[in-house]
Amino acid sequence: MIGYFYRRILYMIPTVFLVSIVTFIIIQLPPGDYLDTLAAELSDSGGLDTGTLQALRDQYGLGQPMYIQYWKWITGILFQGDFGLSFEKNLPVNELIWDRLGWTFAISLLTLLFIWAVALPIGIYSAVRKYSVGDYAATFFGFIGLAVPNFLLALVMMYVAFKYFGQSVGGLVSPEYIDAPWAWDKFVDLMKHIWMPIVVVGTSGAAALIRIMRANLLDELYRPYVVTARAKGMSEFQLLMKYPVRVALNPFISTIGWILPTLVSGEIIVAVVMNLPTTGPMLLRALLVQDMYLAGSLILIVSLLTVLGTLISDLLLAWIDPRIRYQ
Amino acid sequence: MNMVKSTKRYLVSSVAALGLCALGALPAFAEDYAQAPFFDAAVESGDLPPVDERLPANPLVLETLGSIGEYGGTMRRAILGGGDQHNIVRTIAHENLVRWSADWTEVKPNIAESWEVSEDATTFTFTLREGMRWSDGAPFTADDVMFWYEIFSDERLTPSKHPIYVGPEGPVAVTKVDDTTVEFKFGSPNGLFINNMAYGFGYYPVNYPKHYLSQFHIDHNPDGIQALIDAEPAAAGWVSLFNLKAGPMHTPAFWQNPDRPTLHPWKLQNAYGASDRVVAERNPYFWKVDADGNQLPYFDAITWDQVEDPETILLKAFNGEIDYMNRHLGRPANRAVLTDNMERGQYGFFDTNDLPSNGAILMLNLNNPDPVKNAIVNDLNFRIGLSHAVNRQEIIDLIYFGSGRAAQTAPQPVSPLYDEEMATQFTEYNPDLAAEYLDKAGLTEMDADGYRLDPNGERFTLVFLTADVFGAQFPDVLELVASYARDVGIDIQIRVSDRARLQEIAASAEHDAYIWNCAGGQSDAYTSPECYLPFGTAVYWAPEWAKWGVDPSTGIEPPQHIKDLFVAYDEVKAAATPEQRQAEMEELLEMSKALLLTVGLVQSDPAFGVARNNVRNHPNPLPISGQLWYPSPYVSQMYYEGGKSLP
Repeated sequence: MIGYFYRRILYMIPTVFLVSIVTFIIIQLPPGDYLDTLAAELSDSGGLDTGTLQALRDQYGLGQPMYIQYWKWITGILFQGDFGLSFEKNLPVNELIWDRLGWTFAISLLTLLFIWAVALPIGIYSAVRKYSVGDYAATFFGFIGLAVPNFLLALVMMYVAFKYFGQSVGGLVSPEYIDAPWAWDKFVDLMKHIWMPIVVVGTSGAAALIRIMRANLLDELYRPYVVTARAKGMSEFQLLMKYPVRVALNPFISTIGWILPTLVSGEIIVAVVMNLPTTGPMLLRALLVQDMYLAGSLILIVSLLTVLGTLISDLLLAWIDPRIRYQ
Repeated sequence: MNMVKSTKRYLVSSVAALGLCALGALPAFAEDYAQAPFFDAAVESGDLPPVDERLPANPLVLETLGSIGEYGGTMRRAILGGGDQHNIVRTIAHENLVRWSADWTEVKPNIAESWEVSEDATTFTFTLREGMRWSDGAPFTADDVMFWYEIFSDERLTPSKHPIYVGPEGPVAVTKVDDTTVEFKFGSPNGLFINNMAYGFGYYPVNYPKHYLSQFHIDHNPDGIQALIDAEPAAAGWVSLFNLKAGPMHTPAFWQNPDRPTLHPWKLQNAYGASDRVVAERNPYFWKVDADGNQLPYFDAITWDQVEDPETILLKAFNGEIDYMNRHLGRPANRAVLTDNMERGQYGFFDTNDLPSNGAILMLNLNNPDPVKNAIVNDLNFRIGLSHAVNRQEIIDLIYFGSGRAAQTAPQPVSPLYDEEMATQFTEYNPDLAAEYLDKAGLTEMDADGYRLDPNGERFTLVFLTADVFGAQFPDVLELVASYARDVGIDIQIRVSDRARLQEIAASAEHDAYIWNCAGGQSDAYTSPECYLPFGTAVYWAPEWAKWGVDPSTGIEPPQHIKDLFVAYDEVKAAATPEQRQAEMEELLEMSKALLLTVGLVQSDPAFGVARNNVRNHPNPLPISGQLWYPSPYVSQMYYEGGKSLP
């Protein structure tokens, strides 16, 4: 187990390093840079000020070759924890992202809990009561959850919240609480809002997991060890939980690894539509205006978290299923 | 009753305003100035001097559009997470030496209490208000204008100058006459200078507080600057530090430095982009008063909630969370839903006077790098043929909900420059006539698929670039145009791109054609004539000629009929009186009309905005154009009836 752990940690280092290089190259692939974007936007206001642009180009060192820019960026991160400067916001990336990463993390975690809370009991029920009315109902809603695009669900829920509950939409708190310090009222207000993104993002994940759980458990339910246990007179519920469910749990554990990247990249549209203070909209905006250090740092951190998440889920899997350790 | 009352009040105000002007700086009168209750505590405790000492000797008396206002309340708006700094500029900034009147018809005094123009229109002398102060209380004098001029002349800080400050003989020369008088002198006549100073980019000379910004300049603070550079993570040297602290107002940098003193009615409290809400509070030293001597502005604060998606702003408006806004909201497509929710959001509509020369224009690149295509698109017959091939009314009905009318790129009917023939020539939908003109352009042969062949026997194809911007639905329009072109044998290929990429390609003249809109529908035709001759960098239908027009050692030398346009525009700029200028402009338009340089599709109906039911004194209609950064010079006179926003 210890050797397995070390091996996994070692693999992480080149992975993250490669991700950082690929990230940087991809961000630089589109022609032009942040200042071209800025120039395009400024021409909308009736004219273009080339003097300012030239001065900015020098300031940001945008004329330098890509590998020098990469070297500056990555050494800054490694040795000073400095993620560079956001061109558009003229602020160090460090000052911009941690709040948003915090929210991203919080919503991810809650979404994960939501998915588990929904998928686990329904999945077990569907498998045990195969082809019952309840199973068909769960399957039906599961497929709807999978088929409806998340952003559409977000729009519909926002409309319903606005139309029938008179709720202020967008963001995680009502406008009057934006600048307010944390207090009970603000927390209650947050709770009124935060369930929406969790449900929206969690629905398709839960639907997928229900199907997987059902299929996995069905495979296990008729194995000889189950039959043996039942023959020995073990209570049905205890039996179910102790053996087949534990084996079928694998997909739940491996979810930990991918929930974070899904939330950051896959759900950008939801975050934009619902105006969430997460990293998604910031990443999208950074990519659109070619704000390369901000975009690069976000992708790098998310990749790192993904790798970490995968590590955790692998370790959990190894713990829960000894067979994995000996591969 | 209300009407009579407000008219009466208005008369009283006007008389009072006249009185104030006449009395000027008499100190006896100054005792009557009043301030917002917002400052009462600070004045009482001695943190802030009394209002009479904060105002200049001769404050500007702003002619209120309705009645004298009530102090208080916060005006709430929404802003997009990035690139939306004009949302702030157009609300609270844009205090120039001179300004346009609220109806955009004449130039009026603003920071300058008066100005003089020399007879030959080369020298402009501005008289500043005595005793005016920056938002931190430091005096604003001619030295601040000279400090801007120093930066403007400095190759390190301003390697290329904004065109309105550069004449054919080189950049403007600015001299200080005394503490309240500055003189701007050009080498040759510049009859449009005062107009330009009232438009957006006239803000430069009065937005550089010397006492604050000189600390970031190596010549003014040689010893202390290194410490400041070290303290600023985003700065690599003194030039980048200076640009960071003194970034121009139309770029994000200006709004990311809340420490910079301003002359605006409200002052930023936090940086745009750094938090979920941008807040601006009233400037205690604002230099405008109403006719009763109340210091403006009336609103205590303005806030912008940061959102990522314009549709969220729409929902906020339904919910009554937007007090006054047209940006991102006032599109024809939103009119119906906004009407449905008027009662709930407790708002009403106001009109805007947003009338570009055309809202969707087929801009063929007349400097096409492909010589065969270049010859064809430069043939007037081809452009006329293309124009007749398009069913404009169907585009208007299908895409713009029937709002707008078929037109070429031309001044709008409300403009004194309106020419019906120019606006309507070749707009009739007539495929047969179109085919006739295309034949005349030499595209007589067809291939097996029914597409016309160029003189080399290749299928003639135009690749149109387009981007989804301004909510103008350009890609949808272009799909229809391509189908009409197909009917007359022209192959139009559509490439949808993002805006930055499109502009990059178009600026380098590598494109065949693209679709965009263009200013110049009203008075801005004088200063933004870019669709009537190749001028400036806002649109790119002949970028190489435009470059040649600025500097004949660059770009491509245009044919004589384009050179004639340059000469005609020089005459417009040199005209000293408005009447002369209009005559010269009409001559230019007449010449441009005959050339049909671009193919306009639709002059849209103006957009609109929403205002909560108790917002008063807002201009209606509100003039808007690319260069006219409205309504910011008039927001300081808006107020809530009852002193606060509706719940």
